[in-house]
Amino acid sequence: MYLAPDGEEAEIATAASDFLVGAMPIDRLHVAGSADMSAELRALFGEMGWFALAVPEAMGGSGLSAVEHTLFFREAGRQCGPIDLLAQSLAANVAQDAGLRAALIAGEVAVGLLVADGTQFRLLGSSDAAWGLTVTEGQAALYPLASIAPAALPSLDPANSMRLLGALPEPAHQVTGSHISQLGQLGAAAMLVGMAECALDLIVEYAKVRETFGRKIGSWQAVRHPCADMAVRVEAARSQLWYAAAAMKEGRADAAAHLDAAKHLANQAALANADSNIQLHGGIGVTDEHHAHLLLKHALLLSRLFGGKRSLLTRLLHAELED
Amino acid sequence: MDLHFSEADHLFRARARAWLAANVPNEVRPAHGPESAQFDRDWQRKLFDHGWAGVAWPSEYGGLGLSGLQQVIWYEELARARAPHHINTMYIGLMHAGPTVIARGTEEQKAFHLPRILSGEAIWCQGFSEPNAGSDLASLKARGRIEGDHLVVNGSKMWTTDAQHADYQELLIRTGEDGLRHKGLTWVICDMKSPGIQIKPIRTMLGDEHVNMVFYDDVRIPLSNVVGELDQGWSTAMATLSFERGLGFIGDQLELYERVKRAIDLAGKTRLDDGRLALEDDGIAQRLSSIKADCMAIRAMTLADIAETDRTGMPGPKGSMMKLMVTTTHKALSEVAGEILGWSFLEFGGDRTAHPWTYDYLWSWVFSISGGTSEIQREITADRVLGLPKSR
Repeated sequence: MYLAPDGEEAEIATAASDFLVGAMPIDRLHVAGSADMSAELRALFGEMGWFALAVPEAMGGSGLSAVEHTLFFREAGRQCGPIDLLAQSLAANVAQDAGLRAALIAGEVAVGLLVADGTQFRLLGSSDAAWGLTVTEGQAALYPLASIAPAALPSLDPANSMRLLGALPEPAHQVTGSHISQLGQLGAAAMLVGMAECALDLIVEYAKVRETFGRKIGSWQAVRHPCADMAVRVEAARSQLWYAAAAMKEGRADAAAHLDAAKHLANQAALANADSNIQLHGGIGVTDEHHAHLLLKHALLLSRLFGGKRSLLTRLLHAELED
Repeated sequence: MDLHFSEADHLFRARARAWLAANVPNEVRPAHGPESAQFDRDWQRKLFDHGWAGVAWPSEYGGLGLSGLQQVIWYEELARARAPHHINTMYIGLMHAGPTVIARGTEEQKAFHLPRILSGEAIWCQGFSEPNAGSDLASLKARGRIEGDHLVVNGSKMWTTDAQHADYQELLIRTGEDGLRHKGLTWVICDMKSPGIQIKPIRTMLGDEHVNMVFYDDVRIPLSNVVGELDQGWSTAMATLSFERGLGFIGDQLELYERVKRAIDLAGKTRLDDGRLALEDDGIAQRLSSIKADCMAIRAMTLADIAETDRTGMPGPKGSMMKLMVTTTHKALSEVAGEILGWSFLEFGGDRTAHPWTYDYLWSWVFSISGGTSEIQREITADRVLGLPKSR
């Protein structure tokens, strides 16, 4: 029993952090047109093999587990990483054709995430996406988008674009089972935990330097106490995330329930910490140039994916847990 | 990262589960009076006779010498078996005074007191807080002056749970100069039968009288009862408090998950005033499920923290965050129970057994105030976890 990154796991987390800080820092989102992954960025991630972490070795991947997958996406979350990063990684596990799989792993073709909305679909991320990925509880499928021209929509989230599609073509690749949706849920939860941590780090750093009434704001209990509450949310969401990742890696019967709890706690932590971070910063917190609003807007998107509040809580209510 | 329990851990769980299933008393613990203390003594004696006493104690002092993880298993099995609650009249002896005597006591103190605590023969109470020294413990004023080989104590203590049943008290008094705060305090074992002690129960909002004021009028305590050094009582007291913030609450943390399951069962068989089952109400179902997720996180936090402590041998600074999370969740669960139970939640005349949810609801303020208020836990988190500039 050990519930923290350990040994080689910690090395992978450090490598991921170093890479992401250099290649995809959160600062990029203050430059216009920086939503989604660009073709160059995608190729860079592909070169480093990040899309293939959880792809089995026999399929040309690194063959690592749900734990390393989680550690990578938590670091991506800390940089407010786009959802196409996760879609691309999942698609590499869905493609049945070795050529397409290799191209996805290498980052040579782009994937966006398709989410059903009534009779239509929303396409999130990668405006140059050649493929759209749908993930439901028991099934994941890849749809060719070449002959479709989705309608662009405004997007609140600076990290991802949003477009609208009518009917989908026949899927070109499909897999059944819960593996892909669980990897997706874990990845999204991990990103949200990273974002909740990022919000906490931003305000703690600021509270140590910003002064009001002749004192650092971090010495006022009106600031200290909400910061402590933010730390509790991070600790709870992160502990449950580690538990869920290990439960999936070990194929435990209650892994789905732990994933649902992890996603719910991550949704709450990211949204509430983004909120507190803006408020505790004061005026600077509502400016466009600050990171604070980026975390809030991206959390609003991610908290709706791979399990929103209603569906998670409905499943969790009667779920049985193991020792 | 892994969720494996060792073979020894599995065996321990199986053994604990089987023993508890056969030995948990059927009768309900009396709510107050000497009979409640006797119930606790009997249960502790039974644990002792069957080799289950001292789960948190090292084996060289008669404890079970368990790893932190095995202690977690024990508390999970206690909650599952609905065994007598571990926070009873034995709690201070087993979780405060005993560990402090083990850490700082003399060989004579250890030899006399530790076996009596383990076997349930001696009940202990705490004597730290005062009417004007609660969160700010270092401002305490009860005084002990040295006369020959005795301390002579005058002053008063507050919030002393079970003082009326206790044989001994862990008493923190000022022996050095006034105004020196945490310098000049002494931690001493007080025999509660000593002449000059007067106990006055405090009736709480729960309707019971478990906590007391204790008055000391020239109470004579042998100097040989001092634990740790004279005037170094702050250091001795902190040994106790860091223990409490580390492992002292794991029972509550893990019991919460059993309680949320009971609340879901309750909602599945209790009708609202509109005739629907409470669980058919989306608002109630969502809140219960959300609290269940919180309880799962509390268990994960506990396991993460205990596994880390087992590895490093040092309790980390996360106990305060844990207590914040647990007390918040406890209150939220009690509030939903109130909604599920409707009017019957208000039919409370002080009978804990008949109305456990109302009692626990009222207790949620005791939980978030005692053992360090939520505000103090936030201060500790801001200082020790986040490294924010000091507020004082």
